Amino acid sequence: MRVGAGREGAKVRVDAGEAATLVTLLTDLLAALQPDGLDAHDPVRQRLFPDGYRDDPASARAFRDLTESSLGAERTERVRRCLAEVSALGDRPAQVVLDDEAGDRWLRVLADLRLAVGTRLGVTEQTDFHDGDGPDAAARSVYLWLTAVQDALVRALMN
Amino acid sequence: MAGTVAPQRQEERQADAGTVPEPDRPWITVVWNDPINLMSYVTHVFMTVFGYPKAKAEKLMLDVHRRGRAVVSSGTRERMELDVTTLHGYGLWATLEQQS
Repeated sequence: MRVGAGREGAKVRVDAGEAATLVTLLTDLLAALQPDGLDAHDPVRQRLFPDGYRDDPASARAFRDLTESSLGAERTERVRRCLAEVSALGDRPAQVVLDDEAGDRWLRVLADLRLAVGTRLGVTEQTDFHDGDGPDAAARSVYLWLTAVQDALVRALMN
Repeated sequence: MAGTVAPQRQEERQADAGTVPEPDRPWITVVWNDPINLMSYVTHVFMTVFGYPKAKAEKLMLDVHRRGRAVVSSGTRERMELDVTTLHGYGLWATLEQQS
């Protein structure tokens, strides 16, 4: 994926393999965001919907009761829209221009994808991504790719 | 903020909460370091959500990264709950607390 800054927004070039990867990742995230998609104690759910109060369980519970379902609905809507856009690209390389609204939405969805994949991988500050072998190799390379795409997109949108 | 729903039923929530707030001390929104969110993205979020200039957003991001946490806004409890909700919508690890 190549990302550049343009006058109307960020210009993103996506090839068919990248589009297919995004469709798979977004479909998985959409399923995880459904009300019965993830157990309440699932670390991905806890990371996407963290406590609003650190040392006050009663306030944290009340805050969660108020905010979690609307945050989940907004996340779902963002993922749906991104999934529709990438699904419409077809199987040829395509260039899309993301204006500020679409750029912000894609940044947030990429953040959610990185949080979901990274949490499953157990990413820490010490994680060494140069160690390319092992059962997690595919997920690690997806995570690194998402990292590069999000970083390029945020820089293109800031300019 | 686009796409963010304000917490509702504030009075009821306050009544349910376990703490007894002291009215004179302001509330603060704290962002905590996490190993996944990118420094460039966190800077973008502070600029977008709070309208901070890039230099201030970068300083706050570096405080989060190096010190483990940074206070990114302060005000009423209701306002801070809104800020925390918005930051959660961006995937940041944010909490609110009463200033000590």
